[in-house]
Amino acid sequence: MAGVAQAGNPLGRALRDVRHMAEDRYSIWSWIATVDHKRIGIMYGITAFTFFLIGGVEALLLRIQLAQPNSTFLDPDQFNRLFTMHGTTMIFLVVMPLSAAFFNLVIPLMIGARDVAFPRLNSFSFWAFLAGGIFLNASFFIRGNIFEGDIGAPGAGWFGYAPLTSTEFSPGHGIDFWILGLLILGVASMAGGFNFIVTILNMRAPGMTLLRMPLFVWMTLVTSFLIIFAMPVITVALFELLFDRLYNANFFNASVGGSPLLWQHMFWLFGHPEVYILILPAMGIVSEILPTFSKKPLFGYPFVVFSGVAIGFMSWGVWVHHMYTTGLGTVANSAFGLSTILIGVPTGVKIFNWLATMWGGSISIKTPLLMCAGFVTMFTIGGLSGVLHTMVPSDFQQQDTYFVVAHFHYVLFGGSIFALFAGVYYWFPKFTGKLLGEGLGQLHFWLMLIGFNLTFFPMHISGLLGMPRRIYTYQEGFGFDTLNMMSTVGGFIIAASMLVFITNFISSLRNGEKSGRDPWDARTLEWSLPSPVPNYNFKEVPVVEARDAFWYTKYRENEEGVVVRIEGAAADDEEDDGEGGHGIHLPSPSYFPLIAAAGLPIIATGLIYDPALVAVGVATTMIGVFGWAIEPPTERR
Amino acid sequence: MIILDQVLPYVMQIHQKMHLSRVFSVVWSHRRQAVVGLALLGLLALFAIGCGADTPQNTFDTKGEVAERQKDLFLIAMWPALAIMIAILGGTVLILIRFRRRSENDIPKQTHGNTTLELAWTIAPAILLFGLGIPMVAALWEIGRDPSPDAFQVNVEGQRFLWKFEYPELLDESGDPVVTFSEVNVPAGREVALHLTSIDVIHSFWVPKLAGKLDAIPGRTQTMWLRADEPGSFSGQCAEFCGLNHADMRLVMHALPVEDFEAWVDEVTGGGSSASAAGVGGDSGG
Repeated sequence: MAGVAQAGNPLGRALRDVRHMAEDRYSIWSWIATVDHKRIGIMYGITAFTFFLIGGVEALLLRIQLAQPNSTFLDPDQFNRLFTMHGTTMIFLVVMPLSAAFFNLVIPLMIGARDVAFPRLNSFSFWAFLAGGIFLNASFFIRGNIFEGDIGAPGAGWFGYAPLTSTEFSPGHGIDFWILGLLILGVASMAGGFNFIVTILNMRAPGMTLLRMPLFVWMTLVTSFLIIFAMPVITVALFELLFDRLYNANFFNASVGGSPLLWQHMFWLFGHPEVYILILPAMGIVSEILPTFSKKPLFGYPFVVFSGVAIGFMSWGVWVHHMYTTGLGTVANSAFGLSTILIGVPTGVKIFNWLATMWGGSISIKTPLLMCAGFVTMFTIGGLSGVLHTMVPSDFQQQDTYFVVAHFHYVLFGGSIFALFAGVYYWFPKFTGKLLGEGLGQLHFWLMLIGFNLTFFPMHISGLLGMPRRIYTYQEGFGFDTLNMMSTVGGFIIAASMLVFITNFISSLRNGEKSGRDPWDARTLEWSLPSPVPNYNFKEVPVVEARDAFWYTKYRENEEGVVVRIEGAAADDEEDDGEGGHGIHLPSPSYFPLIAAAGLPIIATGLIYDPALVAVGVATTMIGVFGWAIEPPTERR
Repeated sequence: MIILDQVLPYVMQIHQKMHLSRVFSVVWSHRRQAVVGLALLGLLALFAIGCGADTPQNTFDTKGEVAERQKDLFLIAMWPALAIMIAILGGTVLILIRFRRRSENDIPKQTHGNTTLELAWTIAPAILLFGLGIPMVAALWEIGRDPSPDAFQVNVEGQRFLWKFEYPELLDESGDPVVTFSEVNVPAGREVALHLTSIDVIHSFWVPKLAGKLDAIPGRTQTMWLRADEPGSFSGQCAEFCGLNHADMRLVMHALPVEDFEAWVDEVTGGGSSASAAGVGGDSGG
């Protein structure tokens, strides 16, 4: 590489120029080449929120169609494709990457590190996620003019049950895009999972033992382990399906001895840990915010930690509860019914500990806390309807009805999304130096809470009245009409709440109130840093002496056991201008992770349309990987 | 925050000096009462919307033994679940009111945990949940048993996007089993054994008022049983997403009184010789 980098060589000069551009903090190139975990986190967040809006528009289209019986707003084909993309988007392109955004933003700060263990791998994760998301959504355009209703996109559901996904029943390339898109996203998730495991295990500040780690760090660790074990399972299943479709492999073709149920086993063996991949980070966020806003430590810390770990283990033993009606037999159904009951126990432990954390506290009722209260209550409803689902015989009735739709939206929206918004309101000042507007924040919360319940609570009842999922329409005279109209109205209230949020976000970015270092009187290390956090994070690596490390630099207990503020401690005054970090080595920016990730969708496109493109994609990725490996470090300090 | 703004100051004033035991009475008074009352009314209205109208697929309005058993089991779990839901929702709201921040300098006692409490709220839910597990497994084995040997036999074949019903015991004049599509006739009051399969993708057979669903999977045949306790026509539909017109894959199960059923059998078999072989009407003989 030395030859290329020489000044006389035009290619070398161009490369050097591009790298210089990346050094300028205000240039767009510095974002593209960034390996700074904070910037990557911000890009994760903005990208995932954009997909959230796309998935939300899909949901609104579905709700318009279902608002009235015998509606023809969408045709069945469009409906099927839209609900497939809605589910796939919300799970893989919204909740997972939004969690990843918080991993990136917060984890290194919480453990007192200057970055993640593998900054360029981190950058690769983001670009691969973006590539996978764009690739998946590109499928909308493969059938002609989308604005004339020719929607491409997969149409076999986010669960893609064989043999509906075969070329016989799903002709066209929608399913191929879905398979390959998920495979690319899997690569991104795996890289992220390994990165955060190594970061958390190896890069903690001195004194931060495992049982002094903040709860969010713990939940990220458990989630990362779930990711690296669950993703390979779905990867195998997707490859088998890909081989079925491209090369007639017949893994799932019953007429030649394949097994459609094999797909379901593999999909849910991935799919149930996946549910906890979606909810554990949310639980971690709530476990940070409730103590801060109650001015009390988390109640029963070790129990909350171990119940999270227990959930991680047990999530591998419950997948058949997605398959009760497939006829696996009474023994299997009993066993998995009981194991599913068991997983309710650690989940309940967490809820009780959150309530006990608030009990006796001094609760500041601001937007982050309201979002958390929304999480605790809505997630409880979702958890309880989950308990109803474990009752196998009665689940024979509810399986694949709107009761299930209500259940998992209470878990994933009422749970994950509320907690993720809590995280946005909580950590926004840390990375912008400004507070999100409190008035608009509370308006956002109440609109979202009301809209959410109006949308999803009636679904419990429409399900019990016998409305199956995934039907593009229904007839009059089944008792579904009013309930569905309510759900649709609720959906638009949620949409309105998002407009409030976006308004708040933009206006606060411009003229929000300055937050200072520690606007919430918080407990973890990130709040000891200036806001926004300088690019090197910690000027000096902190030494941790207790759980809630930052809190104990501000408070101590006096002789009577009463907590008193330490005079003059951690004063919220000095504004760090970011100039103090001279001499701190930072990883240099690099374009190669982007190049390596850019090859992946090219390979995928090639597999669908033209093998020649596969070669181009492989070459691109190889250039990225080799450049990455031999790129010389710059002298940036 | 509008609701809290209106209600909170009032509540706060009153119970400023009160202990938590008094909070309940505050909650049930005046404006709070209206709020709670409205919420309950809303819930009731929801159920009224559901139950008042014609609901041919209502899983609570059961007309058969299996569905009845499933509904009972659901209710066994639903009541405690609702109670816990109200307790936790109400508890959260009460905690937010009772322990809201009154002064910025207020630093509460730093409690870190309590092992007895932790054990209590680990063990108590475990007992409750396993308490639910017992009737669950019992019902599962009851419903999951093989159909009785004298059950009326129907072979059900899912195909995109309709149901085909074949009656192996009823032979028409040319000696082939009688076949119907989308509508299926069974004798009321007698057990029916349904043997499900599919010729294309996975479907799921579901007649909500009579029984929960079972999937119809290509390459295998699985059996479920049900019984209509009274004559009637029961609506059902495919419950596993099967592609384009999944929503239109409907069916009606007609449970006919014995005379009507025999008349229908005579009609489709052209005289009834095979019908007697099927033991129509003689269900209890063994």
